[in-house]
Amino acid sequence: MKILLVEDEKELADSILSYLKGNELVSEYAANIESALSKIDMYDYDCILLDLMLPDGNGFELLKALRKMNKTEGVIIISAKENVETKIEGFTLGADDFLTKPFHLSELLARIHALIRRKNFDGKNVVRFKEIEMDIHAKTVTVNHQPLDITKKEMMLLLYLVGNQNKVLSKAAIAEHLSGDMADMLDNHDFIYAHIKNVKKKLTEAGCGDYLKTVYGLGYKWQND
Amino acid sequence: MTDKLLHKTSRTYLVFALLVLTISAPLFYYITDRLYVDDADEALLLRKEEFLQYALPGLKTSEIPIWNKFNRDIKIKKAAPILNDTLFYTFYFDTLHNENEPYRELNGLVEVEGKPYTYSARINLVEAEDLMESIALLFAFIIALLMIGLYFISRKLSQRIWKPFYETLLQIEKFEIDKNSNPLSANTGIEEFNRLHLSVNRLIERNLSIYRSQREFIENAAHELQTPLAVFQAKIETFVQRTDMTAAQAEILSSLTESASRLNRLNKNLLLLSKIENESYTDKQPIFIKEAIEKLLDFFTEQANAKCIQFKTDLDGQAGMVANPVLFEILISNLFMNAIRHNTPHGSINVFLTKNRLEISNTGANRPLSDAKLFLRFSKLNPSGEGTGLGLAIVKRIANLNGWKVEYTFENNLHYFSVSF
Repeated sequence: MKILLVEDEKELADSILSYLKGNELVSEYAANIESALSKIDMYDYDCILLDLMLPDGNGFELLKALRKMNKTEGVIIISAKENVETKIEGFTLGADDFLTKPFHLSELLARIHALIRRKNFDGKNVVRFKEIEMDIHAKTVTVNHQPLDITKKEMMLLLYLVGNQNKVLSKAAIAEHLSGDMADMLDNHDFIYAHIKNVKKKLTEAGCGDYLKTVYGLGYKWQND
Repeated sequence: MTDKLLHKTSRTYLVFALLVLTISAPLFYYITDRLYVDDADEALLLRKEEFLQYALPGLKTSEIPIWNKFNRDIKIKKAAPILNDTLFYTFYFDTLHNENEPYRELNGLVEVEGKPYTYSARINLVEAEDLMESIALLFAFIIALLMIGLYFISRKLSQRIWKPFYETLLQIEKFEIDKNSNPLSANTGIEEFNRLHLSVNRLIERNLSIYRSQREFIENAAHELQTPLAVFQAKIETFVQRTDMTAAQAEILSSLTESASRLNRLNKNLLLLSKIENESYTDKQPIFIKEAIEKLLDFFTEQANAKCIQFKTDLDGQAGMVANPVLFEILISNLFMNAIRHNTPHGSINVFLTKNRLEISNTGANRPLSDAKLFLRFSKLNPSGEGTGLGLAIVKRIANLNGWKVEYTFENNLHYFSVSF
């Protein structure tokens, strides 16, 4: 799957690109609208990560250009601007998602996965990891084709972990992902222990491999080896 | 005791008028008396002239008793040892009224058929008490007239001339820096008020511009921080992915992650506060409070469970109002998170909702919080605590914006926060 990152902040772009590396993703990078447009002209991308404040104009111009070119790339706006008007304008111009800076790289990856799944939606929205199968639409999980009794939050957590496999996820990143809009309210991330514990227990009981590892002092990791 | 300006001036006028009148009353009496007596003396002298001119030449000594009999006020008596005309006060007993009457009398020497006689003429004067009484009455009448006049004039003045002043006063009293207000009119028809209005307008304008620039500064600063924060956080996350870390390094990274997350939250809340102040959330909808709370309850129960806090709710399903749903959610969330954050492990939270009042009580520190600073930005109970120090400031701001009342009380070792809609 091909990703195009349009971001003028070099340091941030480096981090994003290095995080996205692997994970069956190929990422390319453009620092301004002009080079982004020439890339889009040549290749098809599954997803475009678009900053709004770019040296040669507003990211919205790129959205308008995409529309003119009849391109159907999924677009995730990554911006420091987060007022309602900007969001609405972005969605009106065809963006699929909006992520406000600063964000967790793991959150970005989860959003990319979700977007690509929606784009390639062929009647079934299913994520597979070895013996685990998650039906996003029906909100059910099976392990070795046996249904797993799992809550909505736990499934959200599992999907997040699997989507960020082989990455160390901090407690903060997980907590903020699980809290959605309420993330800004959080001042304590301890509530995720209970969810992690439950997911781990349920998976083990269902005979699933031990993929969910605790990384000492830092957080958790979904190990795929 | 404070008085209205108008009462003060009219009272001064009134006191002055009373003073002038009281002082002038005796003077008036004295002058009137003087004039009156002078007039009487003149009349007496004139009468004597007439007597000398017309009556005396034909008068015989034998006619004197008849003259005296028919002239009540001019008598001719036996000569007394006087040479010149003398004028003096005297009293005669009035048998009709049974009282002494004051008289002015002129005695002079005349000759009737060569013999000396005393000419005595008198004029009845008004009694002094009568005069005083009339003057007192007159003055009382003037004073009464003055008082009534002043009362009506001051009322009229307060209604007309002072009207713009009172309007100004009202407008200044109602002035709030974060609400738009119309400038005061600089055309009141009275110079002092025009000057007042101009100065007040200038003052308001200056304050508003300072307030605006401060607001903009906060918003811009928070916005500008977003990008470096994003880089900071992304770098940490990239670093965390390294597999060759020691436990000590991991620990440092972990606390960096927490700090980044806190910084992030702080900045988001600052942005939120400035957005509320910039009135970004203006669209209002009817909200069912119970519904709105229950929507968030899962999240809060989850948070409370992590600290083993009991969550109890008693919500009236009828309670509702019109407000911006986003802001209302933020208000509720901040109050709930506060109740969780400052709670003790295994504590409890009670949420009680009636038709127009939401009350959240929680266990926590066994002493009341100082409510003077409670709703101020960054006035944190525990400076190193987890909160951003903005939560209650945001609550207060949202409440003010909607005209709700937020109160804090401490009773039975419970902290109560209530919002009256």
